Amino acid sequence: MPILPVDAVTLVVIFTLIIITLLYLREYNQRKKLEITGDKFLKEIKEKGWENLHQSIKKSQAILGQAELEGIKVVADSKIETSKMGQDFSKELSESLDSSKQTIVSAQNQLLQFMADLQKRSQEFEEASKKTGEQRINQLFDRIEQRLADFLVQTEQKTTTSIELELKSTRQLIETYKNEQLKLIDENIVAMMEQTLGMVLGEKLSLKDQLDLIYEALEKAKVEKFIV
Amino acid sequence: MNDILSIILKDTYSLSQLKHRLRILKSSLLKAFFGGENLTFSPTQLSWLKSLPTEFYQKFNKDNVYQIFTEIEKEISKLKTLTIYLTFEPDELTLTQLGAYVRTNFGPNFLLDIKLKPDLIAGPALVWKGIYKDYSLKAKLEARKAEILQEFKKFLR
Repeated sequence: MPILPVDAVTLVVIFTLIIITLLYLREYNQRKKLEITGDKFLKEIKEKGWENLHQSIKKSQAILGQAELEGIKVVADSKIETSKMGQDFSKELSESLDSSKQTIVSAQNQLLQFMADLQKRSQEFEEASKKTGEQRINQLFDRIEQRLADFLVQTEQKTTTSIELELKSTRQLIETYKNEQLKLIDENIVAMMEQTLGMVLGEKLSLKDQLDLIYEALEKAKVEKFIV
Repeated sequence: MNDILSIILKDTYSLSQLKHRLRILKSSLLKAFFGGENLTFSPTQLSWLKSLPTEFYQKFNKDNVYQIFTEIEKEISKLKTLTIYLTFEPDELTLTQLGAYVRTNFGPNFLLDIKLKPDLIAGPALVWKGIYKDYSLKAKLEARKAEILQEFKKFLR
């Protein structure tokens, strides 16, 4: 086997580099072709676009013209319709206004009539109320007057009776007190007299006198048949 | 029994006097029959004991002394007793005079129950068989109280 100047690894690397370079070149060519194709395609498209745009402008201008015509037509129609509707509306409005006016006038008349009736009734009611009120007030005053008179008479009678009773009671009380005091004075007089007599006779009365009084009492008891 | 009581009552006029005399008689008899402590009597008591007759004492002996006194107590309750309220306490002599008068006028063996009541002023009040009757000056004043007060009030005017 001949000895190579370079080893296998170097060869592989060189070989790989060659392949890569080839691949790069191939890719470069392809891209270049693609760019040319693209430019061409773009140019075609551009041209077509301009053409389309032109056509479109033309068409749109045609449409616009048509639309303008249509618009003018619609506006004209609208104006006619609007005018017609305005007239109708005016007419109806006028009729409605006339009708409303009549209705309002009628309602106003009815209201005025109603108010007049109401006023009349109110006056009648007021007069009746006034009359009834006066009658009631008069009756009330009569009753109050009567009751007040009765009450005053009763009060007078009660007061008189009460005062008379009070006077009677007071007189009785005074009389009782007077009698009690007089009785007390009498009792005191008698008690003082008895006490004085007791003291005097206790000292002055002799035994013989005492015995005589006892004999006298016994004699009397015998006569009265107290002692049997 | 009546003899014994009659002898005692002969000069005994009041209930308290009777009870007192019976007590000293009983004491002296019990002393005589059964002995015991010496008794001392007042001259009046002694005099009365000596005044009793010999026959009176002969009725008592050891056996019947208690029984006789029990019966005497019973008899006393049957005696007619006149209660006299007096304004003074009578002495022995006055009591005797009063007792004699009562017995002369109302009957023998009459007994007096003397009680003191000074507010009668003068004169007695009597109680006989539970009925009280006032014969005192106080009762007389009370009876004529209105007249007395009338007269008295004349001096006040």
